[in-house]
Amino acid sequence: MITTSKQTLSRRQRWVGQMRRFLRGEGAYLAMLAPLLVFVAFIALYPLFFSFRISLFKYRLTDPNQTQTFLGLDNYSRAFADPVVLQSLRVTLTYVAGTVFFEILLGLALALLLSSEMRLMRTIRASLLIPMALPPLVVGLVWKSLYNADFGVIPFYLKEVGVNVGRGPLAELSWAMPAVILIDIWQWTPLLMVIFLAGLKSLPVEPYEAAYVDGATRWQNFLFITLPLLRPTLLVALLLRTMQSFKVFDTIYATTAGGPGSVTTVLNFHIYTVGMTFFDMGYAAALANILLVVIAILSILYIMVLERQQL
Amino acid sequence: MNNTLWKFLSLFIILAMVGVAGCAPPAPAPTTAPPAAEPSQPTGLAACQGQNLVLASMTDQYVAAFRVLVPQFNQASGANITLDELGYVDLYQKLIADFVGHTGSYDLMTVDIVWSGEFGANQYTKLLDAYMERDKAELQLDDILPVSWTLGEWQGTHPAYPLAGYANVLNYRQDLLAAAGIEPPTTQEALLDAAIKLTDAGNNLYGIALLGAKGPAVAQDYMAWVQQHGGRILDDAGKPVINSAENVEILEFFGELFQYAPPGATDYWWDQRETAFRSGQVAMMEGWSIARAGYEDPEISSIVDNVDIAVAPVAAGMEPKYGFGGWGIGVNADSTPEEQECAWQFIKWLTSPEMQKDWLKNDGAPIRRSTMTDPELVALYPWLPILLESFEKGDGDYRPRIPQYSIIQDALGTHVNAFLVGQETAQEALDAAQKQVEENWQ
Repeated sequence: MITTSKQTLSRRQRWVGQMRRFLRGEGAYLAMLAPLLVFVAFIALYPLFFSFRISLFKYRLTDPNQTQTFLGLDNYSRAFADPVVLQSLRVTLTYVAGTVFFEILLGLALALLLSSEMRLMRTIRASLLIPMALPPLVVGLVWKSLYNADFGVIPFYLKEVGVNVGRGPLAELSWAMPAVILIDIWQWTPLLMVIFLAGLKSLPVEPYEAAYVDGATRWQNFLFITLPLLRPTLLVALLLRTMQSFKVFDTIYATTAGGPGSVTTVLNFHIYTVGMTFFDMGYAAALANILLVVIAILSILYIMVLERQQL
Repeated sequence: MNNTLWKFLSLFIILAMVGVAGCAPPAPAPTTAPPAAEPSQPTGLAACQGQNLVLASMTDQYVAAFRVLVPQFNQASGANITLDELGYVDLYQKLIADFVGHTGSYDLMTVDIVWSGEFGANQYTKLLDAYMERDKAELQLDDILPVSWTLGEWQGTHPAYPLAGYANVLNYRQDLLAAAGIEPPTTQEALLDAAIKLTDAGNNLYGIALLGAKGPAVAQDYMAWVQQHGGRILDDAGKPVINSAENVEILEFFGELFQYAPPGATDYWWDQRETAFRSGQVAMMEGWSIARAGYEDPEISSIVDNVDIAVAPVAAGMEPKYGFGGWGIGVNADSTPEEQECAWQFIKWLTSPEMQKDWLKNDGAPIRRSTMTDPELVALYPWLPILLESFEKGDGDYRPRIPQYSIIQDALGTHVNAFLVGQETAQEALDAAQKQVEENWQ
C-alpha cells in the first residue's frame, strides 16, 4: 500500500517536473503562440478545408434540400476537361504576362528616373502612389467611363487624331485585353517603382566607383552593375505581381464582365460565374482550389527567393 | 523537437480537425418553409407599430418613389422601414445569399419578374395568397391588369405582389422622323428600314440604341427581339430551344440592327443606352416605359418635347403582343410573422389605388387600370393610353419566369455578345448557348 502511494507520488512528481521543464523551454513559446494558432485554424484552415471538402461534392447552393452528393475528384477532372476553364487559363496567363512585363519595365524605368532626392522628384514619386490607394473596383468603373466609345474621353481624343476606335477599347476583340492590361499597369506600376527604388537605394557604391575609374559609360553601369545587383529585387517584384495578377477579378468585373465574348474571362471571373450565377459551389470550389495551388507554388517560390536574399 | 512538443502539436492538429469536422454537411433544410403563423384578422397599419424592416430595392427609376413614400409610411404606421438601394446584379446576389443562409436581413425586396419562378419554387419569399384572401375586400384585385400579375405569380401562387409594370415600347424622336418623312415604325421590317434611313454616322447620329454589353443587358434585349419576331426560348414542354433556326435568323436580324446603332452599343448597359437616347445621339430606342417621364426632364435630357412613344413593333403579319416586364415586391420567408405582417401592410398601402397616384407621380410605374385611366394622370403623362394598350396585349413570359432563368440569361449574355463582336457566328453562338444551358439545367 505504501509502495503504491510512493509510485503514484513519484509519477506525479515526474509529470510536474516535465511540465515545468516544458513550460520553461519551447512550451512557453507555444503557449504564447496558442491563441494565434487557434485563430489561424478557424480563420484560415477551416475555410480551406471546407473549400476542399465541398469540391468533392455536387453541391448547388440554391438547392432547397441542400443535397450534397459525393463525387470524389470528378469536379477536378471536369475542370481539366472544360474548354471554358482552359480558355480562361489562357486568358489569365496572357493577362499576367502583359501586366507583369510592362509593370516591371515601367516600374524600373520610373525608379531610375525618379531616384534622385530632389524635392520635385519626391513630389512626383508621392503623387504616383495615388492610383494604388484606390480600390480596383472604383478604378475599373472610372476607366470604363473613360473608354466608352461614344462618351469617353480616350476615344474622343483618339478620334480627334484620326484613330478608328470601332466599338470602343473594351468592346473590340483585339483591344479589350490590352485595354484592361493598361488599367492594371496604371494602377500597379507605382508599386514596382517603390520596390525598385528601395532596391536601388540599397546598392553598394563601390562597384560604381570602380567602373567610373575604368571609364564605364552610364549604359554600361546600368547593364553590368545595376541590373545584376538588382536581380533579387527583380525576382521579388516578378513573383509578387505575378501572384497578384493571377488573382485579378475586380477590374474585369467592373469593366468588361469577361467580354467581349470571352476574351477577358480570366479564371477568377469564371469561378465567380460558376459560383454566383450557377451557384454550383462544388465545381466553383474545385476551380478555386486549382487557382490556389498555382498561387501557392508562386508563393513558395517567392518565400524561397526572400530567404535566399537574407542569406 | 522533444516528445512534449510533439504532443502539443498533435493536440493542435486534433483541435484543427475538430474544426474541420464542423465542415460536415449541414442537416438538409426542409423542402418547405417552416409553417408560419397564418394571418388571421386584418390588423391594419397598427401591426407595424415599432417594427424595424429593411427593404432591398433595385436602383431603377421607381426607387425615387420609395424615397418619398417609405418615410410617409413610416410616419403613418409607426414602422421603421429602411431602404437599401442596390444594383441589379448586387440585389440578386445579396438576396440569394440572404435566402440560402436564412439570415433574414431583408424583410421586403423588389423581385424582378424573371425571378418570381426561382423565388417561388424555392420558397425564398412568403407566399402572399393567405394575406390576399384575408384582405381581398380592400385590395381591389380586379383593378390590377391581368399581365401585372405575372410580376409575382408562380404556378398559381404569389411569391411576390405586383409593384411596377413596364411595357416594352418604342421611343422615338418625332422631330427627326418628321424631318426624314418617316412614320413611326409598326413592324420590325419598318424599324430596320427607319434605322437605316436615320443613321448619319458622319454627324454622330444613329438610327437605334440597343443593349449589347455582355451579361443580362444583351440577353434581355435579344429575348425582346425573339418575342417581337414570334420566336421562343422554351418549347411547349418547357425545354430550351435556344438554337432553333428561327432564333438564329432573329439573332442575325438583331445583329443587323447594331450596324445602325452607336459604335459603342455592343458595350451598352441600360444606363448607357438611356444616355445615348437622352443626349440626342439616336433617333429610336426600344425600352421600358418607366423611363418615359425622364425624357421631359431638362436636367437629364436634351430631347425635351421631341419624344413620343408607340407600341413596340412586331414582325409583319404577327399578332400584336408586347413585351412586358417590371418588378414585384416580396416578403422574406425567414422574417418573423410580425415583420411579415407589417411588410404586407406596406405592400397593401403602397399598391392601393389611392397611393398609386403618388407612386406614379414620383417616378413609379403602374400596375392598375384605374391608374392608367385616371384623368389627372393622363393629363400629366399623355402616353399612358399607349401603355395601357401594351399592358392589355402584354406578354410577361417572353423571358421564361422559371427557376433556371439565370442560367439562360448567362448563356445568352455571353454568346449573343460574342456574336455581336464577331467572335462567333449566329449559329455558333446559339449552339454554344444551348449547350451551356443544357449542361447547367437542373
